[in-house]
Amino acid sequence: MTIVATMEDSIPETAAPPRPRRAVARHDRLALTLLAPSLVFLILFTYWPIAQVVLQSVTIETFGTKAVTHGAGNFVRLFEDASFAKAVGNNLIYAVGTLVPSIGLALFLAVGLQEATRLNAVLRTIVFFPVLIPLVAAAALFLFVFLPGIGLLDHYLGRLGFAQTNWLGDPDVALASLIGLTVWKNAAYYMLFFIAGLQAIPRDLYEAARLEGASAPQRFTRVTLPLLGPTLAFVAVIALVNVVTQVDHVVVLTKGGPSDATNLVLYYIYQQAHENYDAGKAAAATVVSLAALITLSVLSLRTLERAVHYEA
Amino acid sequence: MYPLTRTMAAASLALGLGLGSAQAATEIELFFPVPVEGKLAKEMQSLIERFNASHPDIRAKAVYTGSYDETNIKTHAAIKAGRPPAAVIMSANFVLEYQIADEIQPLDPLIEADGKTADAFMGQFWPALHGNARFAGKVWAVPFHNSTPLLYYNTDHFKEAGLDPAKPPKTWADWSDAAKKLTKRNGDKTERWGLMLPSNYDYLGWTMTALDMSNGGQYYNSEYGGEVYYDQPSMRGALTFVDNLVHRDKVMPEGVTDGKAVSTAFFAGQTSMVVLSTGSLSFIRENMKSGYAVAFVPANLRNAVAIGGASLMMPKGLTPEQTKASWTLINWLTSPEISGGWSRFTGYFAPNKAAYDLPEMKAFLAENPDAKVAVDQLAYARSWFATYNTVAVRKALEDEVQAVLSGKKKPLEALKEAQAKAEEIMAPYIAATAMNLPK
Repeated sequence: MTIVATMEDSIPETAAPPRPRRAVARHDRLALTLLAPSLVFLILFTYWPIAQVVLQSVTIETFGTKAVTHGAGNFVRLFEDASFAKAVGNNLIYAVGTLVPSIGLALFLAVGLQEATRLNAVLRTIVFFPVLIPLVAAAALFLFVFLPGIGLLDHYLGRLGFAQTNWLGDPDVALASLIGLTVWKNAAYYMLFFIAGLQAIPRDLYEAARLEGASAPQRFTRVTLPLLGPTLAFVAVIALVNVVTQVDHVVVLTKGGPSDATNLVLYYIYQQAHENYDAGKAAAATVVSLAALITLSVLSLRTLERAVHYEA
Repeated sequence: MYPLTRTMAAASLALGLGLGSAQAATEIELFFPVPVEGKLAKEMQSLIERFNASHPDIRAKAVYTGSYDETNIKTHAAIKAGRPPAAVIMSANFVLEYQIADEIQPLDPLIEADGKTADAFMGQFWPALHGNARFAGKVWAVPFHNSTPLLYYNTDHFKEAGLDPAKPPKTWADWSDAAKKLTKRNGDKTERWGLMLPSNYDYLGWTMTALDMSNGGQYYNSEYGGEVYYDQPSMRGALTFVDNLVHRDKVMPEGVTDGKAVSTAFFAGQTSMVVLSTGSLSFIRENMKSGYAVAFVPANLRNAVAIGGASLMMPKGLTPEQTKASWTLINWLTSPEISGGWSRFTGYFAPNKAAYDLPEMKAFLAENPDAKVAVDQLAYARSWFATYNTVAVRKALEDEVQAVLSGKKKPLEALKEAQAKAEEIMAPYIAATAMNLPK
């Protein structure tokens, strides 16, 4: 799906046949009419709330007075807040910690299971299983997997002679535990995209590479990887969005603790809005994280796509 | 189906007569949280059905609103949206915030209209519950179900360690001695902990309140929502005691232990003593395989714990009919009979003292001595901390205590930082109240 989209994008502008002006207008009107129903909802539930959040972020309210002023005060307070800095730091560690292993693992699984044999179909299903479990449910399960001493993890590690670990209650380990859960949960989902991407690579390229005497690792780095570029870009963006938008496991397992060790930006926003009743700071943090997300998406899509299209 | 048919009947009657004389039932909504296991939601629905059946002029609807925290969020949202529920079962320590925000109505006029004084009305309930319901000179909430922290201990482990299961530790000295005797080590691996305290957010604040109060402390200023006593000697002693149990005596696991992990470890025999809510009584009774008993939380200077649980409150902005109907529902839900039945079902104790005079309740307590200990401890219970921005102020302490539990900080510096952070959070309120001075 992505591949198709990017291919279309890459068609040079000049290739489009020139159309008469009136036809363009009619074409646009038709497009607009067809889009209208979803556009209405998009405006109502996406753009309007975004506008409200931006407005809220520059609205300053003071307790005990009805007076409202406008300015950058919420942003100043946000950047002064050590908890916000901590949440951003955690989110960066969490991003790198989940993106790299889950994409690596997904690629490895996709290459390993790309041939459509019966055994692979079974293996794919097994590997895909975690994706089917909602994150909340997975987190609730992992509460018991992570129990010190009696949990599944410690039970088997204990048999191997390891000491007990407080997986969620030790501030040095808790974030890594959440990262592990996320990788387990998401790797197979990304694998699916890679399998689709692999299927789109023409077989004859591999034939040619083989004739030229390229080894398997060479075929992977010279043929597979470059041609998977668009998929990689897409998966990276999806994974990045997940890093910022999915905090169900934080809510279920740690509530950001111990001592903010697993607090992520989205949960921080929730805390500001609903625990501290600080709508201004929550809105400011939302604006900052949205801006970061958009910038990152645009950057990663551009660089990765450009890296790919050195078409021969 | 039943309420629907009744509305239709009422509507058709009104239409048929063409007059407003056929009075339709007053519709009210009750927001209720389920803090523990899921079957409570069903029980609440059937309670409301009973209420509707016995009050034909009122049609109450129970709206399940999630946990205490979610109920708080949804109630704020409903009030902001101008569609307040007629009554809410709210975590008892959040009521103050609604009073500060001027979002709930005082119940005194309703009490007076019933021909009672506020003293007589509150007199129905255990004294420990008054502080979170009646403050700033008025009655703001009616206690619905309540709890206190309780010491649960494994009697089999006690016997095995040479301790008398009939004599649970009464002082902190006994407590730490018992914990040392009960801890079982195998090399540098601990096979059984002497004691576990829940230390996840929310629970930890309550655990620390119990220890601080047992050490003579107040935790917070119960008369003014802009003051906490985190860096005072009573709290320092309490936190140092915990730090010693973890890092010096090694009878309690390091780091944060979730309440669920505490009960699971207790069931699995991985810990001999735990402090958990009286609200967990039914859950533990059903799941504990080996022998257990309960006792008061041990004292250093005195026996004292804070209450927990929830109260019924009434938002502003209701019509007079809704207010009246809501008041009827609140009184019905907190009556001795209903209160007692709910208590036996959930494990929470009944706030209404008269509930314990009913024969069903007497029989229940005779059968379940552990429930009786919970009620007896009430004599030593105090109000639950409630301040401006309660959750955030509580978290200021919890973050620092967690750092001590994890060996990252020492009690003294941790508590200084907790106090500073709490004051920073309460600053807007302090500025508008205690520091709002004549110019």
